[in-house]
Amino acid sequence: MPELTSSYVDSLAPNTAAIKNGQGLVRKKSFIQLHRTENGELLFGQCAGSGKTPYECSVDFIAPENPVFRCSCPSRQFPCKHALGLLYAYVEGQTFTPAPVPEDIAAKREKAEKREENKVKQAAEGSPAKPKKVNKSALKKKITAQLEGLDLLEKLVLSLIRGGLSSIDAKTLKTVQEHVKQLGNYYLSGAQIELRRFALLLGKGEDREHGYTYAVRQLTLLHAFIKKGRSYLTARSEDPELALDHESTIDEWLGHAWQLSELKEYGLTAENAELLQLAFYSYDDKARQEFVDQGYWLDMSAGAVYKTLHYRPYKAAKLLREEDSFYEVAEVPLLYKYPGDMNPRVRYEGMTTRPVTPADLDQVHAHAHRSIAEAVKKVKNQLKNPLSDKEPVLLLHAVSISQTAQGEYLITDEAGGQLVLEDIPALSQGATVLLPFLPPVCLEHCTLLVMFEHDMDRGRLAAQPLGIIHAEGMTRLL
Amino acid sequence: MSTALLQELHQEVRRLYIAGSDLAADDFRLKRLLPQFEQLGERAAVFKRLGEGISALVTSEAAAGQSSAVKLQDLTLLLESVLYTQGSTSPSGSEAVQLQGSAFGLETGVSSRKIAAVRQALTTTGSGRYETVLEAFKDGVFQDLRLLPLAVGALGDPYAELADFAMNKILPSYGPAAADYLAQHFNPAGGKSEVRKLHVIKAVGRPELLEEIYKAACSGSDDVRAAAILCLAGPQEYIQALLEWTADKKKPIREAAYTALAEGGSAEGLERLFEAFAGKKDRELAAYALANYPSAPLGERLSVKFMDELREALAADHKDSKKNEALWNVISPYLIALADIRNPQLDEIYRFIIEHYDRFAALGWLHLLDRAARYQETALSEQGLELLRELDNKSVRYLSYYFRAAQQLLTAKELYNEFAGGSLLDKMKARLAKDAATRNRVLQDTLEEQILNAERVTYQLAWDYAGSRQQYVWEMLSPERIAAEWNPRWLDWAIERDAPELAAALARPGHSGVREYLTAKLNREGKHRKDVDFVSNLFKGLERAGLPEAERQELLISVVEQQRFQNPYMFHFYLLERMLAFPASYVERIEAVLPKYRYESKTQLEYLVSHLRSRQ
Repeated sequence: MPELTSSYVDSLAPNTAAIKNGQGLVRKKSFIQLHRTENGELLFGQCAGSGKTPYECSVDFIAPENPVFRCSCPSRQFPCKHALGLLYAYVEGQTFTPAPVPEDIAAKREKAEKREENKVKQAAEGSPAKPKKVNKSALKKKITAQLEGLDLLEKLVLSLIRGGLSSIDAKTLKTVQEHVKQLGNYYLSGAQIELRRFALLLGKGEDREHGYTYAVRQLTLLHAFIKKGRSYLTARSEDPELALDHESTIDEWLGHAWQLSELKEYGLTAENAELLQLAFYSYDDKARQEFVDQGYWLDMSAGAVYKTLHYRPYKAAKLLREEDSFYEVAEVPLLYKYPGDMNPRVRYEGMTTRPVTPADLDQVHAHAHRSIAEAVKKVKNQLKNPLSDKEPVLLLHAVSISQTAQGEYLITDEAGGQLVLEDIPALSQGATVLLPFLPPVCLEHCTLLVMFEHDMDRGRLAAQPLGIIHAEGMTRLL
Repeated sequence: MSTALLQELHQEVRRLYIAGSDLAADDFRLKRLLPQFEQLGERAAVFKRLGEGISALVTSEAAAGQSSAVKLQDLTLLLESVLYTQGSTSPSGSEAVQLQGSAFGLETGVSSRKIAAVRQALTTTGSGRYETVLEAFKDGVFQDLRLLPLAVGALGDPYAELADFAMNKILPSYGPAAADYLAQHFNPAGGKSEVRKLHVIKAVGRPELLEEIYKAACSGSDDVRAAAILCLAGPQEYIQALLEWTADKKKPIREAAYTALAEGGSAEGLERLFEAFAGKKDRELAAYALANYPSAPLGERLSVKFMDELREALAADHKDSKKNEALWNVISPYLIALADIRNPQLDEIYRFIIEHYDRFAALGWLHLLDRAARYQETALSEQGLELLRELDNKSVRYLSYYFRAAQQLLTAKELYNEFAGGSLLDKMKARLAKDAATRNRVLQDTLEEQILNAERVTYQLAWDYAGSRQQYVWEMLSPERIAAEWNPRWLDWAIERDAPELAAALARPGHSGVREYLTAKLNREGKHRKDVDFVSNLFKGLERAGLPEAERQELLISVVEQQRFQNPYMFHFYLLERMLAFPASYVERIEAVLPKYRYESKTQLEYLVSHLRSRQ
């Protein structure tokens, strides 16, 4: 059983409301019984609820890194407030009387054990991964549909360009929105999102003049996507045996959701990775119609900056766990990497944690780019690819942070190279406003996590700091 | 590479996207750019390709099979790719100064979820924002660097309570660094939020910043000037300026200057305040300033003047109502300025006022008489009590003053005798008096005021699953204090006067009659009573009277069953607490009546049922 602290319990909660409600149950003394087993592996109890009978809830630490929450309440939130409340009661030091493991939990444990055994057995036999059968005719049908969808999209895009963006009115936008819906029938969810993003740029209440540049960029993006997608799909329709493209992001653009097993199959994994979160923020992606929890992580040995993305669709947002800032080092036994550019998306299934040590911070500094010129070159190389991630993030070492008479913030590298720091439109939150409030230790010989965005109108490559790693630790600016 | 040329081309294609690509054929502005691209194309392949793209776009459509839109897309895609490699990152200014760092010393260890909640509260509008911010401040979330700009921004929040909270609590918690920062980002011409900044600066206390504030006091907007002047109270070097501002044309400025002088308490300042009483114009302003910052020496001087003017006023002609009012306006500022002052001269004045009750009452200056009564009530002197008795004899209005003063000077027994005791004859006389009914009512009100709503108690709304809410209610005086401070005979008095709630509060075990009286009240009275606490007070009384719990429970459930509550929405917290102590066997009875209840009371009963069931 891990050491229980209230911040640990907080981190288990799916959202802040659950924390409050869980603590509320303890304060209201809703727990009728509180028990623990002799070895402390299992906490269980009864909690009065709105139903006639009290709920039976338990937290099982038989596998300490992966506690199992069980509760008889009908809540779809997981873990529910009762299980959290049980843990808060324990943290608060309420008395848990020792008791034997209840029968139903013993039975459930046995079942879980068997499942685990079966898995191990299957793995040992070496024949678990049955080659997935591809239904060729279905695949062919899907590809044909996708190609048709691309034609439809192209027709729409071209007609919009011929007519001009200025002539787009509410009626045209309605047609665009209808197309967004239709693209769903053609298995083109990626295109759906980008077309909706285009519609949002010119939608109601948006500043048109400001939106035009982005709208143009969105149109060329769709153009590049149609071209590339068409040639890729044509190639696949001719050879259905052809595997997914695991090097470029085209499959994702077409709406493919990579499964972990697929990533493993293509060898896109790393073993025993250590990750340190450098930045985290959540935003509302209206084009995706999802809330996105986005984190940037440093792979401590490889030095790459990965990102994690957790999508919470509007409709299910209440039931899904909100991710949060992570202040420890995550030790990941098996890390899955998505195809991508400089900051590929990663995922993992299980992990353990350890505290951050000064040696870890040294690693961060060691992995930072020492030369601004080289880093900028790398960024530009990625940006020029039409379907690339347009907001690359990397670590930059700075000798100093300074301010010009015009109020611009600058970082300077060892060779005297300079980079202007400013807020980029891609992020809804500014960070440069915080720079004057930083303590002196942040401002010299430090490493910055920086996100880039090219500003077409001004012809500038803008860089926004997301965090600063300095001698005493890490300061987050988002 | 000629970035400017590329940028120009981008502007042109952007224009075509907006206008429509059908207009691209023979576009003269693109045509004008073409030669330059062709020229550069001889050296760099990418310009050649761009040049080809332009010429394909401007030549008439019939030539190529592709529509203009595709050509425009192709050209722009290529152009964008090139532009992406040309983004400039160099600063526009040249001389850069190393950032020095600030003294805030804030960290960024608060988790994103917590920050996001506060960020949302301070950047959007809607309900519940204030609570979120309050809670976050309590949890120390505002000590995170990332919330600092939002905290400063909150000073201008449209919800004034929130802005005031930021001013009074959040920003001062950052210490002197906050004052420095606010002073740097201060706009003297601004409005409310700038005024709040000044208040923060004053609260944090940074004498170094006074010079800046002085400038704002001289030249800012009116609101800012007034607030800045208030900040200048105290130091010697600004007294002269404050004295000058008391002669300003604008009233808010004069008001602020008087207040600052009163707060500073300097000899010159007090002299000016005294002078203000000479005229009519600023008398009231000076009075309010002194009410906030009373000064004993000035109080003495003003008291003398007060006496003189009072005598003068009394001697003047009062037939004209307008003149009467003008006289009152001369006198009333003294009451404001001397509100917290007590000195022999004032003792004299207020005695004088009470002794001339009839004349002042005739003038309708009741406020003056009330103040005199209040002064004597708090004087704690035999003399004052005597004066109040005199006043009470003249008007029942002063009964409560007299009662409260007597309460402080007499023993509990003496008090009872004075107000409710006496021989049978006295009682008969009292009952026959003209104002007997009024006297009784005033006396009862005075008692209830002190006994019924004596202390604030917090209840947890345990039945509310939406969240753990709390609510305050006023409770009656505890039985211990009643036993110590009130004569036991008051209970009989209350029953005799038929004041059930008072009787409930005063009830004690072993008293003959109180149980029967309260039970009878419970059975008889019901929906007619307006007061929501009535039934719960009766039950509290029965508990105080020592009625065994089992009997009270039976009584309570019968009341629940007969639905004899005047408030159909919710049971009083006390009653619910008693119900939670019901024997588990009552659960069927509760369930049987449950359908009759609605709203909050239904939820409460459901909670009760589940509670009783879990005990079974």
